[in-house]
Amino acid sequence: MSDAWIEGLDLECNATCRYEESGLKRSVFLRPEEAPKAAARLAEAGFFIEDISVLDTADGLLATYHFDHFECPGRIALRVVVPHEDPKIPSISAIYPGAAWHERECHDFFGLEFTDHPNLIPLLIPDDMTEHPLLKEETRRKGLAELVQPGTIETCSTWFKGLFPDPDENEDGEGPDGAETP
Amino acid sequence: MGSFSIPVELIRIVVGVVAIAAFVALNAIILVYLERKVAGHIQRRPGPFEVGPHGILQTVADALKLVGKQLIKPAGADAFLFWLAPVLGFLPIFLFFLPMPFGPVLTTLEVPLGLLLILAFAGLNVLAICIAGWGSNNKWSLLGAARGVAQSVAYEIPLLLALLAVVFMKGSMNLSKIIDSQGAWPWQWNIVLQPLAFLIYFICAIAETNRAPFDLPEAESELTAGFHTEYSGMGFGLFFLAEYANMVVVCAVATTVFLGGWKGPFFSGSWWFLAKVYLLLMLMFWPRWTYPRVRFDQLLNFNWKWLMPLALANLLVTAFIMKVG
Amino acid sequence: MTETAPFFSDADLAGDFYTRRFQPGPSENTLILNMGPQHPSTHGVLRIVLEVDGEYIVRAEPVLGYLHRMHERMAEEKTYLQYLPNMGRVDYLHALAWNWAFVGAVERLAGIEVPERAEYIRVITTELNRVASHLVWWGAYLLDLGAFTPILYAFEDREWILDLLQTPTGARLTYSYFRPGGVAADIDKEFLKGAKDFAVHMRDRLKMYKDLVTDNIIFRKRLEGIGPISLDMCRRYGATGPVVRGSGLAYDVRRAEPYSVYDRFEFEIPTTGSGDAMGRYRVRMEELEQSLRIIEQAVDSIPEGEIRVKGAPKVKWKAPAGEAYFAVEGGRGKIGVHLVSDGSNRPYRCKLRAPGFSNMSLFGEIARGILLADAVAILGSLDLVIPEMDR
Repeated sequence: MSDAWIEGLDLECNATCRYEESGLKRSVFLRPEEAPKAAARLAEAGFFIEDISVLDTADGLLATYHFDHFECPGRIALRVVVPHEDPKIPSISAIYPGAAWHERECHDFFGLEFTDHPNLIPLLIPDDMTEHPLLKEETRRKGLAELVQPGTIETCSTWFKGLFPDPDENEDGEGPDGAETP
Repeated sequence: MGSFSIPVELIRIVVGVVAIAAFVALNAIILVYLERKVAGHIQRRPGPFEVGPHGILQTVADALKLVGKQLIKPAGADAFLFWLAPVLGFLPIFLFFLPMPFGPVLTTLEVPLGLLLILAFAGLNVLAICIAGWGSNNKWSLLGAARGVAQSVAYEIPLLLALLAVVFMKGSMNLSKIIDSQGAWPWQWNIVLQPLAFLIYFICAIAETNRAPFDLPEAESELTAGFHTEYSGMGFGLFFLAEYANMVVVCAVATTVFLGGWKGPFFSGSWWFLAKVYLLLMLMFWPRWTYPRVRFDQLLNFNWKWLMPLALANLLVTAFIMKVG
Repeated sequence: MTETAPFFSDADLAGDFYTRRFQPGPSENTLILNMGPQHPSTHGVLRIVLEVDGEYIVRAEPVLGYLHRMHERMAEEKTYLQYLPNMGRVDYLHALAWNWAFVGAVERLAGIEVPERAEYIRVITTELNRVASHLVWWGAYLLDLGAFTPILYAFEDREWILDLLQTPTGARLTYSYFRPGGVAADIDKEFLKGAKDFAVHMRDRLKMYKDLVTDNIIFRKRLEGIGPISLDMCRRYGATGPVVRGSGLAYDVRRAEPYSVYDRFEFEIPTTGSGDAMGRYRVRMEELEQSLRIIEQAVDSIPEGEIRVKGAPKVKWKAPAGEAYFAVEGGRGKIGVHLVSDGSNRPYRCKLRAPGFSNMSLFGEIARGILLADAVAILGSLDLVIPEMDR
């Protein structure tokens, strides 16, 4: 599968991952406002949406959009980090109508606001429930770098370096683990 | 003498109606048991087995339960229409059985136009479904009623035409006369002369009685329970009774018109009539437990595109042969 | 004739939150109808708000969440092994596939190797479970279409599987049999013989199913051309499993992302190009046969050995920090478990990707302009298991 869809996107980080370790082929960090553009590119390239998995970390909410391809399988993770105070991401439901429900689910569980979503009403939780059950208490949140390995980084921005202190070392630390699997 | 004969006739009718009521109720109980047993064996299970030997008292228990249940009227339902519907669905049953010749002398009322009487009052069933659907204040019921009306009206026509072909041949609408005109042996029955009419009649009869695969007015997987969604206790019980009584009626008419009525090769009498009716009833059970339900537009298409033209053609050919022959 | 015309009263239009959100369209000839959550053919507690014009559906919006149990939150409160029983309850029909998705994610996260025999056991039991799942679907689907008998035939065959599976798993429905690094108990010769016998028996029955149902004219007329789903639609909605295969694409996680020992078996990925309900029906029926093939091959070639790797995770086991995504092919499509660990003995986050959720999300689009009876046919052809969608 070609990675042509990446061309021209303004990425914070572009990394390849080892499938045997994480189940991902490529992990990409984006600014929230870039998400629809990236999704449009993926849609053009024929990817389908698997799910949107949100992670509540000390550095903010990490929304991971998993995409896969029917003809040439290989999971892509589009990652978007938004602060807890203002968790706004532009909706991709216009491009992937199937994402509409995933976004509603994330809205239920984490309170993520998907702007331009046509129908952002509770999907799984009761309509009068105001809590977001998967948000963690402040003290139990862990840093993003502890939880997520960005993979083998090809390019990354200064913002990303701030988030993952010394990504080179991170990458090295991962290397031996990956080397174990032949 | 004349002033004396009237009470006799009246007594005959009163006794007849009481007998019919008993027959209808008993029949429903036996038929439900029979259907559940048939269904059970088709589905490779024993069917009712707990109440009484081989579950023979199961339907009695069910009937008692139904009688004992509270009658619930949904909020917002039209009370008058809501309660009128089951009664309206049930009462005409007596009229259907009135001219029915169960045996050589077992006829409550000899009517020259017996067949017409039955067919005329068969229409009341539609009205009951319609009123039940409307009066329930339930959208599913309403949809069921709409289906019921369209279906009954559509299937009544080929049903009539099929029967008319026989009436043409025999020149009478008197059920006893139609039986008289048939012989005792199967090849002397009208079904041999009118096989297509019998087939059309039987298909239409299944549709008229809202039995699967034409059970669209109550299609439970689509309309929850259709027109009788909101009925409980004997409200539902009457619809239920009416359904089974209607089945008996259509099968009895088929027996009379096509299968020689109470006549049999030997020991002619009521038992032959009952045996034939029950055989047809079994035939009606069969598709219900075998086939999926048809879709509504398919049901109507089948009627207007196939049954109607066929019934008409059959009638024309019959008329032509009668005229020429 | 009555004071309040029954179906246009204010009380009806008001309804609950979701009905109110679902405003009637501009036409006055339409009716807002709530199909479910207690409708016989929404199997359990799915609810669909419909706008109908007569029997034609103008718009449809599914309302989920009536069986939502917040499994993802429970994951964060339980240790990895304690969470396993939850997996059998996400999709009660194909519980072992969910078992596998979760233990697979744990194994990928921690780099645990699974002994070969355990892999074979997993394949055999999961495929048996898939057959059971498809059988329930088959029976229930026909029940939706108004045929009462097939479900009892299907359950008779399914009973055979349940009897077989209860020996090693100790459960008949909500299995929690797999463990990170293997399975909980070994299978014996009798089980293997039973599995083979079942395959022979089932083939016979499949022939009967075909004669009885698949070739039935009423049945075919109910399904052919109903609810067409294009491949592009599958992409946009993320529909997988028999839905995408029914649209003509041979996408099966067992082949696309080969896991375990599936690459050792010969089996086909059945597809039909029609994309309609009949296509999805045929795919599932063919899958039954393919599952039997896999079972037979696995039973013939199962090696002796350990069923659980040495040092497999125990209750207080701590997973290494990191994340892992593991996907398996469930009866309804691609099951995915996204596991994030912070190095403690509990998952930091466990995201469950339910195939039914994505498959169902396209219903709103294909339901426009169809008949109510077709809606039932389409819902059934998507093979919905509500607890899985709601999680």
